Amino acid sequence: MRILIVEDEKKVADIVARGLKAERYAVDVAHDGLGAWELASAYDYDLAILDLMLPGMSGTELLEKIRRKNQQVPILVLTARDGMADKVKNFEAGADDYLTKPFAFAELLVRVKALLRRGPVNRSSVLRIGDLEIDRLSQSVKRAGKKIELTAKEYSLLEYLATHPGRVFSRTMIIEHVWDQSFQGLTNIVDVYVRHLRAKVDDAFPVKLLRTVRGVGYSLSDEVAP
Amino acid sequence: MNTRSISFRLLVWCAGLSSGIFVLSGILFYFSLQHFLKNDLLGSQERRARQIADTLLAHMNQTGSSYVAGEIERFYAPEINDRFIRITRADGTVVYLSGAPNDQSFDPKEVPAMPRTEKDELSQTFQSPGKKTLVIAGLHFQANDGGDYLVEVGTLLDPVETMLNHLVLQLVFGLPIVVVITTAGGYLLVRRALAPVERITRAAERITQHNLSERLPVSETGDELERLSVSLNRMIARLDDAFQNSKRFVADASHELRTPLTILRGELENLVEDSRLDAEVRERAASMFEEAVRLSRIVEQLFTLSRLDAGEAQAEWSRFDLAAMAKNTAEQMGLLAEDKKISIACDARQPVVVEGDPARLKQVVVNLLDNAIKYTPQNGQIQLRVQAVNGHAVLEVEDNGAGIPAEALPHVFDRFYRVDQIRSGEVEGAGLGLSIARAICSAHGAEIEAASSMSKGSCFRVKLPLSKN
Repeated sequence: MRILIVEDEKKVADIVARGLKAERYAVDVAHDGLGAWELASAYDYDLAILDLMLPGMSGTELLEKIRRKNQQVPILVLTARDGMADKVKNFEAGADDYLTKPFAFAELLVRVKALLRRGPVNRSSVLRIGDLEIDRLSQSVKRAGKKIELTAKEYSLLEYLATHPGRVFSRTMIIEHVWDQSFQGLTNIVDVYVRHLRAKVDDAFPVKLLRTVRGVGYSLSDEVAP
Repeated sequence: MNTRSISFRLLVWCAGLSSGIFVLSGILFYFSLQHFLKNDLLGSQERRARQIADTLLAHMNQTGSSYVAGEIERFYAPEINDRFIRITRADGTVVYLSGAPNDQSFDPKEVPAMPRTEKDELSQTFQSPGKKTLVIAGLHFQANDGGDYLVEVGTLLDPVETMLNHLVLQLVFGLPIVVVITTAGGYLLVRRALAPVERITRAAERITQHNLSERLPVSETGDELERLSVSLNRMIARLDDAFQNSKRFVADASHELRTPLTILRGELENLVEDSRLDAEVRERAASMFEEAVRLSRIVEQLFTLSRLDAGEAQAEWSRFDLAAMAKNTAEQMGLLAEDKKISIACDARQPVVVEGDPARLKQVVVNLLDNAIKYTPQNGQIQLRVQAVNGHAVLEVEDNGAGIPAEALPHVFDRFYRVDQIRSGEVEGAGLGLSIARAICSAHGAEIEAASSMSKGSCFRVKLPLSKN
């Protein structure tokens, strides 16, 4: 899988490239619009990550050109702007998703994977992590064969974490998926719900599935922690 | 009526001054008229005395006193004309004395004799027992025969007094008329002169931080008020500039901070997850990462505020049921309250349809509830009410927490304001939640206010117009 990163801030490009390489993607980096267009016209990329504020050629212009050349390539837009007008304009120009700076790399990675339709997009009706079983149709949860009663919010939180086992979810991502934008800035709500979920799912069992990654967020995994 | 307003004070001055001038000039007029009329009366008595002396007394020795008396009765008819005429010789013998007038208003016999002096012309007044005043002129006359006579001619002051009384009456009736006329005239004048002030006041009242681009009306009259409105407009322009600058600064700063924050967060996130590193290093990196996340949250909130300040587009406005939304939000935050054993009682049974950006207004509810949960102690109670009152949707969040001190109440919506510095350590957040709530409310033409009594709790109330249809 080959990914094009277009970002004029070298350090930001660096972090994204490093992180994606660690996930075994092939990565090319361009720091301005013209360089990006050269790369984009020479190679067929599986995904492009674009910053909109670029020297040489505006991000929106580049986006339109790439889209004209390749209808299929998914494009993720990075932006420091998050006004509604910008969002609408980008989607009209053909962006598939967008991420507002500052973002957590974990979040970028989840979105990249979702766009590449690879890996953790688990569509089966039953999710299994270790001895934990989540039935998406009946919305029921069992651990070691025993039924666990969860509230609606607790269930959606658990199900969301279970869709990408082992992946760290930031509080921002959890709020956006389980609650909505309006709860942004209210990150302690996630902590409280995870604590309650943990009491029901983990407390009675020797193997703890819900993990806290200090500062970053939470993950659900049955792998032994390093 | 505002007794301290310029127009009222001017009118009082106007009325006072005009009545003062009127009274003063009335008094002056009265006395000078009195003086003039009295002198005039005296003058005519003098002339009469001289007439009598010249025509009748000059030949007294030839005609005899009875002839003189007859002539006087014939020409002057003192009894009919209320006149007093007396002619005395130097030795005091009376040559002629007129009879009492027909109305018996005075008795000529009671009028005292004028003292003899060197002067030729004399005068005296006599007060009769019937309160009538006689003005009497006296004349020394040297007749051809060498006889020395004193001719006294007097008349009643009555007509003059009647006239003067009339004058006083007219002045007394005239005073209120003059006061009313000058006050009314003054009122019209003052109102015309102060009308621009009223307009300027109303226009200035309308100007808030959201429409600083508006200006006061300038009437090109060339007067002080034109100058006043022009300089006020310049002041508003300077304020506008300062405001725009500070807004632009917040917008620019929150924008420019994003890239460095992205880098900071990215690098720290990397360190936290780098399993090759020492556990303690990762722990410290995690602590720094947490702070970087907090910093980005503050930047995010500042950016939200600056966008709301700049008048965010209304593209996402729709009609929705505020009551259902509030109830739903309270449920979504239930565990947060339950965690502190706080109960949220929700009273929002009737649908209350409003128009606005649902996500933004939900943020108001979230921020108010979050605030209430934060500042209510364990086992507390929060009440959430949504109802329609007089064409407005009213949303209330009431808690029975510690309350807000009265001196802090006006500042709770200020940016970065914390009610209690000691408590702030336990509670996370930058103090922007209520500022954002207020900014969202003012973008929706809604009012938000806080009421509180110490140790009884606080109540936040949002009032926004109901949807029209």
